[in-house]
Amino acid sequence: MIEALVKIAILLGGLMTAAAYFVLLERRMAAWIQDRVGPNRVGIPLTKIRVLGLGQPLADGVKFITKEEYTPAHVDKRLYVLAPIVILVAALATFAVIPFGSMIPATVFGYRLAEKPIELVVAPGANVGMIYVFALSSIAVYGVILGGWASNNKYSFLGALRSSAQLIAYELPLGLGLLGVVLASGSMDLGVIIGSQASSGIWFAIAQPLGFCVFVVAAFAEAARLPFDLPECEQELVGGYHTEYSGIKLLLFLVAEFLHMIAASFLIVILFLGGWHFWGLTGGSAEIDGWGLAWSGAPWLQGLLRIVVLMTKITLVIVGFMIIRWSWPRFRFDQLMALAWKVMLPLGLINFVAVAMMQQLQAVFTGAMGPSWLMVPIAWGVAVAAWLGITWAAPMIADNRPRRELDPWEIDSQI
Amino acid sequence: METLVLPVLLFVVCAAMLAIGMLAAGSLIGPKRNTAVKEMPYESGMDPAHDARRRFDVRFHLVAIAFLIFDVEVLFLYPWAVANTNPAGLAAQVGLSQLVVFCEVMVFVVLLTVGFVYAWRKGVFQWR
Repeated sequence: MIEALVKIAILLGGLMTAAAYFVLLERRMAAWIQDRVGPNRVGIPLTKIRVLGLGQPLADGVKFITKEEYTPAHVDKRLYVLAPIVILVAALATFAVIPFGSMIPATVFGYRLAEKPIELVVAPGANVGMIYVFALSSIAVYGVILGGWASNNKYSFLGALRSSAQLIAYELPLGLGLLGVVLASGSMDLGVIIGSQASSGIWFAIAQPLGFCVFVVAAFAEAARLPFDLPECEQELVGGYHTEYSGIKLLLFLVAEFLHMIAASFLIVILFLGGWHFWGLTGGSAEIDGWGLAWSGAPWLQGLLRIVVLMTKITLVIVGFMIIRWSWPRFRFDQLMALAWKVMLPLGLINFVAVAMMQQLQAVFTGAMGPSWLMVPIAWGVAVAAWLGITWAAPMIADNRPRRELDPWEIDSQI
Repeated sequence: METLVLPVLLFVVCAAMLAIGMLAAGSLIGPKRNTAVKEMPYESGMDPAHDARRRFDVRFHLVAIAFLIFDVEVLFLYPWAVANTNPAGLAAQVGLSQLVVFCEVMVFVVLLTVGFVYAWRKGVFQWR
């Protein structure tokens, strides 16, 4: 109970701070890519010291809180207030089953903290971990559609419709990309999935490249990051589903969006990039054995090193998210839906069938089920073949031009 | 079970308290100034013509239905994916060898694909 509360406090504080500082990082990256300076003025309050603009998130927060907390007259009041709460709670609660490290020893300088080594996840051993994450990512759709509906504004309404269509369409490729990982590791517990990658030394991005590609694309769409930021494309929909929101309610929406991105990078790293594992650095067993050294500080060093490795990977993935955001143009909505249904869903199915077949062949010939280096070249062959096939077929399947040359009879037969 | 549900519930309660606390802080500290123009929906400076909640495109319904079907079908695969790495347990639970179960799952995937192709041919995924 106390242990869980301490972990929740660390996670909530860490996530809110991280979201604030990633906003600053994103603005600095945008400035760097666009050859500007970016926010560099706000430093320590009441002094003239500017530390690379590190005071900016604090100033932004103060400004958001001192803005008017305004509810327009034309909205549905209860749903209008409920929407940002729902979306933020769903975004935060996802992290209950996501590990933020491996584990740390139970004793510090001879003082016992707990019975056994402390696992760095709020709900350890959640064997439905991934289903829980999916359930909560579906609840985020409710926040979006409630916000858009309650606002009673045409931009908000269109934005919410588009957004919900996008989020549910990309949930399928997300699930299919994940299915291969569940099949290979035999568990939906995120800790066990990391453990299986660490013990075999084969990250699932190497063993299942096609599943990795499908999952990353779907994760971008679920987080509504730039190639897929249709929910709030400013040029068409002003602000999308949060056009009518202002002040602290808008802040809740923006923080929830950033948390979605952070959760997506956590999932990408944990499911496909080995979590806290790095070859020859962190040790392969899920327990912290201190590399088998006699020194009593070794388990602590190992536990902390694993946290550092995990956080480094996540930061790199988030920086990747940002570089892609500021260098790619946005899809059109019909292209977005065609990509989800006609490209990513078939690729996900191919990945799932290929992984299942390879595992079954391996079981028949060698009797072992786990990941092995033997299957890696075949998996890459499947990935390249599927990708080339889709590239060849893409111009045909993504063609959504209005067919004016067809007469009504032919169109009727197609619908 | 208790060790799993309790922390998750605690987490949800703490997150909700955080969100509500932020809203409360905003409404306590912020100013209150109301004007007639502020109360209108924002539509790029035009006077709004009518209510925003109108009929919308049927394609959104199609997407929702297609999602429902395929998502539920994919969800059926998860229990098998978890059980598959434990051949002895699978044989004890369903009384079939792992290979037979694998073949059945592949038949299921073929049916799924047939449904997918049918929906595609019917133009469900065509966004004109």
